[in-house]
Amino acid sequence: MKDINITICIGSSCHLKGSRDIVKIFERLISEHNLGSRIDLSGSFCMGQCAQGVCVKVNGELHSLRPDTAETFFNDVILKKLA
Amino acid sequence: MVANMNVSVDVAYKSLNKHHEELCGDKVEILSTRDSNIIILADGMGSGVKANILATLTSKILGTMFLNGASLEDCVQTIVKTLPVCQVRQVAYSTFSILQIFQNGNAYLIEFDNPNCVFIRDGKLFPISYEERIIEGKTIKEFRFQVKTGDTFILMSDGVIYAGVGKILNFGWTWQSMADYSVNAFRSSYSASRLASILSKACDDLYMQSPGDDTTIAVTRIIEEKRVRIFTGPPLRAEDDLKAVRDFMSEPAFRIVSGGTSANIISRILDRPIKASLDYADPDIPPVATIEGIDLVTEGILTLSRVLQLMREYASDNISEEFFFELDKPNGASQIAKVLIENCTHLDLFVGQTINEAHQNPGIPLDLSIRVNIIRQLADISKKLGKTVTLTYY
Repeated sequence: MKDINITICIGSSCHLKGSRDIVKIFERLISEHNLGSRIDLSGSFCMGQCAQGVCVKVNGELHSLRPDTAETFFNDVILKKLA
Repeated sequence: MVANMNVSVDVAYKSLNKHHEELCGDKVEILSTRDSNIIILADGMGSGVKANILATLTSKILGTMFLNGASLEDCVQTIVKTLPVCQVRQVAYSTFSILQIFQNGNAYLIEFDNPNCVFIRDGKLFPISYEERIIEGKTIKEFRFQVKTGDTFILMSDGVIYAGVGKILNFGWTWQSMADYSVNAFRSSYSASRLASILSKACDDLYMQSPGDDTTIAVTRIIEEKRVRIFTGPPLRAEDDLKAVRDFMSEPAFRIVSGGTSANIISRILDRPIKASLDYADPDIPPVATIEGIDLVTEGILTLSRVLQLMREYASDNISEEFFFELDKPNGASQIAKVLIENCTHLDLFVGQTINEAHQNPGIPLDLSIRVNIIRQLADISKKLGKTVTLTYY
């Protein structure tokens, strides 16, 4: 079990709202910060919160992201949890 | 050979028109009777309108008379006496082949002046013996034999064996080279359509994209019944979930679940986890997932609308070999379309009618928002492609 589990919804609605972009951004940031051993990134089908998309769960807690907020979220929330 | 085997056929054909001609002088008719499938390939003398009329008349007359149980003698007599006489050549003439495959595995092939049928069994050319009959002064070959699963028959017009004649090949492709090429290109997993496309492309290349004659290939494959089932959409009432999943799982089939919520329902009822991947094989199609015991798990609406698009392209007359490269791609939509096109005789659709409110937004085109529309179109096109389709709504 890694320190942080991030699950990104790849269902239809979140896909259209940019979940693939968020996956790419997180993958890039994880590799830039060299955090592959501490963060587990995975996908999930519909989380049932389509209106809140893109749905991203961090250690089970649901967040609502957009591609343009993903990097800030990573820096403000994810990195802080690891600090 | 089991006498009462239940044979299905997969038939497809492709024609190249003689260059500068708008109409093809070859004509293929595909018919089914209660207990058989009939494939007719007629090649009218000459080219253009005249040849097209001769070939169309011949194939239609043969088809209609065969359907009504007329004897071969009657059919040939009728054709000889009905076809308009060519002003130039003073004869009424169209060559033809008729292949009839009965559900019990019996087969009947008739050839009149067309190149011999290429018969592939177990990956090799398989010669079959025939009897010659003279009807109305015409020599006709008659073959009677038994088919087995995997047997593949290639009917062709003479434009195929003359492909390239006088240009890149002195004597054209020749029957033997064409037959050898067919055996080489043949894969037991290929659909009739794929093989027809490959062979037609070879002819087109030999003619350097400028066919000197109408050129037609008709491929018939003997296949087993292959059932595919798709579960998509949450049932309107949650208490029907269990019934829907039970129905879906009830018979042996290749099972596809399409839709995130649908996959969650299956996972919950079967008590097996979903493993979603983040592997975007295609940027526009969400990744596939896996559930133990389900052959394919995909996202729903976006994937299915791409499937529909691929099926439509396939059903149109002008598919190319490249189309099949698209089918070989690993994204969810190509995977579903490939199964439906190449490995399906029976399709059962289990459709939950709940509409995802989140899809009712301006970001999603209106016609995508209603799953039932897509499924209905998918059912229609599958029927058009000769599959037996059932639809069950929940």
